[in-house]
Amino acid sequence: MYEFELTTQQQLLKEAIHSLGQSVIRPQSLGWDRAKDIDQGFLRNFYTMSSALRGSDNPLEDFNEGPKVRDPKRISNTNRTAAVGAEEMAWADAAIMLSLPGPGLGAPPIRNSGTPEQKERYFSIFRDMSEQLRWGAYGLTEPGAGSDVAGIRTSCVRDGTHWVLNGRKCFITNGGRASWVVIFATVDPSLGRAGHRAFVVERGTPGFSVGKIEDKMGLCANETAELVLEDCRVPADALLGGESAYQSKEGFMTAMKTFDNTRPLVAAMACGIGRAAYEYATEFVKEHYLLGRPLPRYAAIAERLARMARRLEGARLSVWKAVSMADHGVPNAREASASKALAGQVATQVCIDAIEICGAHGTLREDHALLEKWFRDIKVYDIFEGTGQVQRIVVSRRLMEGLERF
Amino acid sequence: MISFQPTEDQTLIIDTVAQLVGARVAPGVRAREAARGVEPELLAAATELALDGAGYGAASGGQGLGLLTALMIEEELAASDASVAFSLPGFMPFTVFLDTLLSEEPRAQRMPELLRGERLGALAWSEPKPCAERPGMVTTAVTAASGYRLTGEKCFVGNVERAEELLVLAQLQPEAGWAGLGAFTVPQQAPGVRLLGRHATVGLDAACFGAVRLDDVAVGPEALLGQGAALTARLAEAFARYSLHVAARQVGLTRGAFELMKGYAEVRKAFGKPIAQFQSIAFTIADRFIELESARELVRRAAWAWDVGKPAAQCLQWSAQAIATAHELGMRAAEDCVQLHGGAGFIRDVVAEKLMRDAKQLALCGYTAAQADQLAAGLGLGLALDPATSLPTPDTQAVFT
Repeated sequence: MYEFELTTQQQLLKEAIHSLGQSVIRPQSLGWDRAKDIDQGFLRNFYTMSSALRGSDNPLEDFNEGPKVRDPKRISNTNRTAAVGAEEMAWADAAIMLSLPGPGLGAPPIRNSGTPEQKERYFSIFRDMSEQLRWGAYGLTEPGAGSDVAGIRTSCVRDGTHWVLNGRKCFITNGGRASWVVIFATVDPSLGRAGHRAFVVERGTPGFSVGKIEDKMGLCANETAELVLEDCRVPADALLGGESAYQSKEGFMTAMKTFDNTRPLVAAMACGIGRAAYEYATEFVKEHYLLGRPLPRYAAIAERLARMARRLEGARLSVWKAVSMADHGVPNAREASASKALAGQVATQVCIDAIEICGAHGTLREDHALLEKWFRDIKVYDIFEGTGQVQRIVVSRRLMEGLERF
Repeated sequence: MISFQPTEDQTLIIDTVAQLVGARVAPGVRAREAARGVEPELLAAATELALDGAGYGAASGGQGLGLLTALMIEEELAASDASVAFSLPGFMPFTVFLDTLLSEEPRAQRMPELLRGERLGALAWSEPKPCAERPGMVTTAVTAASGYRLTGEKCFVGNVERAEELLVLAQLQPEAGWAGLGAFTVPQQAPGVRLLGRHATVGLDAACFGAVRLDDVAVGPEALLGQGAALTARLAEAFARYSLHVAARQVGLTRGAFELMKGYAEVRKAFGKPIAQFQSIAFTIADRFIELESARELVRRAAWAWDVGKPAAQCLQWSAQAIATAHELGMRAAEDCVQLHGGAGFIRDVVAEKLMRDAKQLALCGYTAAQADQLAAGLGLGLALDPATSLPTPDTQAVFT
């Protein structure tokens, strides 16, 4: 049955995050952005608070307990709740959402493909973070292979009881602070996807180091790092899923499954930033006058606001559809990419339009600094987790199954 | 809980409509266009299935399945031919408006015969020119001893030649501008009513739009269905509901255009391979799919809001957003469909050119995208609704009804 109402739990979560965002996060947002870091005390408090809120449908998946065994007859609500929470968090500050302690993007591949021992080993470090915050990370992108996952060149060679990894990973969220990183490598580039392997590489492993910490246009408070693997030896049991998991194209599929789960959440975050900018522009318009007339009286401005709003609404519904399919266990690769393509593009345009509506005021880093920040933050949402063009490749291939590689 | 799953009933109904479309609607698209009308056999089959009554409440003689179900049916029909629904009584603006404007008792009396197709009506809203002297309609209704006398000319009126009754919007209080309208039912046979002929339109050839002249037409006091500010608010609701029907047709047309261009791109070869293998083509197809899905869910959410009784302002805003989006994206999809067909798209052997013409005309039935954006903007900014911008008046863009 069609239904667009949030559950009581989702509504409460949304309101709680909104309230926190309004009163606590946004006032500090610019400071963190300029300091290029988020206050650890805040992250610890936030983590403690969210731990108390955790439930089966909480977006902050309960990694302390490891993966849950779900009743196949019960339709999960997890992805839908996560989308609602992600949008609201991004409305407050998108960099926080990416900086939250925990396994982050590293969680889905371990949850989907890890052995029970690996899940216990890698998730257990997040069990108690009262003294020290910890992060996990996801290392797929390379200088020569961004969204073209099949083109990765980081090599892995079996050497006795170990694997030896060589290569560089770039644009890795929380890569410098992570306790471990899921690293994708290949045994032989000529094998394409069949040659892919995924490893969990722990910080401190000989040959594994953090390279450059990137200086970015937006999302400045979140760390983005380069990772270097130079004759990095990892034990055989760090191979995600064990040898048997790679009899087929599982290595590649692990990466893809991660995207099916995370692309709609990234899209939800884009909606959150876009909504923040739209609301800002709306309030600006209500308070300002041109030639003695209130701005909303000008049809061009009113219509632009209306277009911004409806495009955001359409993007949000595409996100909700993708996560709803995931919750129902329906394959959603096409819809996940569609939501990401749409939301990334729409929210970027909304932020551009919001600045335009506010005129020169909108670009100021003092008086209207949040708007200026959202404008810088949003662009990457049409880039990371696969650019808008890559999403269109995914969608078109899913629409036309016989399509060869472009 | 957020869900995009149709009910079993909805799935069954859509399957039934799809069968009807496959057997009767799709094969007759061009013949229907040439005949400039929908074949009686198809109308009879649709009436037998009571498709157009699905969305109306039981008190009105409908099946009580809600607007959402009705719009699913609309989409399914329009994916093959967007003009058909204009001839189905329950999908006509006259019926939608009457259901919205009438109070409980007269609704129960009047609606069943309309839904059974035993009596057809037409909504006479638009006028050839905006009023130069004051805001409001040129057509006037003057109070008389025995009721009212109506004078003026209406155009872009759907089914005007078939209708036995007209719902005429006229200026009852000239000094009140757009808030001074009155809604009147007028028998088409009433003295002074004169049909001015059918418009030749760019698209939707099988739907009939025409003009009508009223010269001092006398109606009784019972003909007045509403007036003033109360009517204005109801008119906005009625236009939003009707325009959602049209938006669902536009979504259906978009789907038809998308499927046609996709199918063509998969088989048409250029430079030794199917044109779908070129990224510019594949991306265009992907974009139209992404937009189609988005428009569809916006339309369905708006319908859902009306069905579950969300506050009127919320329903209006979501409807306006859905309407504007559907028309914007529908036009784009139809144009791309022609474009991807290249020269073949411009030739009438392929239905692509019809889709593009129909899409443009659909976008001018009920609220246009610009008018819907104005309505949504007003609601979004928390402004009091001004009928001059919250209704699709001839002062902004003239529309088909």
